[in-house]
Amino acid sequence: MKRYLEVFKQCMYSAIQAAAAYRMNFIISSLITLAGNILFPLVTLLIYRAGTSFPGWTLYEVLLIQAVFTMSSGLSSLIFGGVLWTTMSHIREGSFEVILLKPLNPLFFIVATTFSTDSIGLFLGGVALFIFSVIQAGAIPLLFWLQFIGLFIAGTAVLAGLSLMMAAMSFKWVGNSRISELADSVLNIGKYPLPIFPKAVQAVATMIIPVGMVGFLPASALLGRVQARDFIAVLPCLLFLAAGVWVYRHMIRLYEGVGG
Amino acid sequence: MNSLKYQWQICRAVAGVTYKEWSAYRTHSMVSIIVGPVYFMVQYFIWTAVYGDHSLLGGISLPQMIRYFGATALIGYLIMDFADWNLSMLVRTGKFLTFHLRPIHHRSFALFQKIGHRSLGFLFEFLPCLLIFIFIFGVDMRPASFPWTILSVLLAFMMNFYVNYTIGLTSFWLVQSNGIRSAFMLVSGIFSGALIPLDFFPHWLQVTQFFLPFQYIAYMPAMVFTGHYSLGGLELSIQQAVGMQAVAVFITFGFNELVRRLAMKQFTAVGS
Repeated sequence: MKRYLEVFKQCMYSAIQAAAAYRMNFIISSLITLAGNILFPLVTLLIYRAGTSFPGWTLYEVLLIQAVFTMSSGLSSLIFGGVLWTTMSHIREGSFEVILLKPLNPLFFIVATTFSTDSIGLFLGGVALFIFSVIQAGAIPLLFWLQFIGLFIAGTAVLAGLSLMMAAMSFKWVGNSRISELADSVLNIGKYPLPIFPKAVQAVATMIIPVGMVGFLPASALLGRVQARDFIAVLPCLLFLAAGVWVYRHMIRLYEGVGG
Repeated sequence: MNSLKYQWQICRAVAGVTYKEWSAYRTHSMVSIIVGPVYFMVQYFIWTAVYGDHSLLGGISLPQMIRYFGATALIGYLIMDFADWNLSMLVRTGKFLTFHLRPIHHRSFALFQKIGHRSLGFLFEFLPCLLIFIFIFGVDMRPASFPWTILSVLLAFMMNFYVNYTIGLTSFWLVQSNGIRSAFMLVSGIFSGALIPLDFFPHWLQVTQFFLPFQYIAYMPAMVFTGHYSLGGLELSIQQAVGMQAVAVFITFGFNELVRRLAMKQFTAVGS
């Protein structure tokens, strides 16, 4: 375990050094990502500006959901963001053997070596929006903060699981750069209050592909809107991550090394 | 006349080859069959909730709004373009040089490639999604006027191409134009009206859109499809809107030609 932590630390250090070497590109990319995050809740702002709302949700509550979603995406993208593209590139070129030959768990190696500094802007944008919207929520009890942290971690686990499943898909769907769009489209549901969707969609977004945990449920916990039964949804999140790891490792065994 | 015939033959050949080339990756295009309807479904429920008891928002009724999002999604499949990425890659690698050796203008070549690529998109993205919108979501996807909608989509196709090609031309100065491409995509995503109709923007921002290329790419063809165009307090008939779009495309073409001529003076064929 100590060795793995040391490797991860070294990889993070290398990624930061690489970003520093092309610091102008890093700064511009981060600024664009940051600007993208500021503009992301624009649709919500314009909807409320038009004098309407998501029933039962104030503007700042919806912004809080979107802030938590962005923070969770940023955190997941920092750690797991590069797994899909690196895996896809190795599979297409038939060079995944390079990773299999390393004296480390291949999945860990890919995660560690693809630490994505570009996503720092995404995470910081989410944090800025979070601070802005959480201030509007007033005083939040400590218990709600603890609930939020637990659910936030579960939401990040869902995103990690999705990244791994998409990357696993690239073992068979060789070179398809649009795989990530599949995850992005489903994740869209997690950016808005879940009750606006029909019960069937809510059930899927909580228990099967638990994208509701990415933004909606952690934000609801901060606002004191969750009930005891909502915490059951943590279990599918952890199972989702476990499924992602299992599928990825299973696909490694099916790797053919021919490229495509 | 002979020149036109010659161009037509080249167009058919390049578009045909591009179509065949991308047909090998047709399942990539077919990702849209899942992604498009999921995005549409999310928009459907968002706007159904937002409208609530309101009959009109920003001067648009709920059924019009649903049709608008259906139209923007489908038009997006018809006009999708990556001429900027392609040109940028050719300049960065120095491969652009090969186009100076061919008896064809690169911009025409890129346009013909786009025609071939989008023909594939028509079959594997547009048609399946159109059928899903009609038969699963029950959306009325009949345009207010077939000929004017087709003309408007064609102009949007050209507009998107010229704008992207101009972005690609910046590579002659910047070599790596990823940053400017990302920034443009970000702004375009918002101001093209693909996320939310431009009627929801503040008045001054709506007026600004007349002088920017974005609304002519998605908002205007979608509004021509719905049969009602208004922006910044200006109401136009479908014919007037398409006329304005044609003028905008012509101006953008002129600007693109100007930038292209300047860019050619920068070309070193070295790559990086």
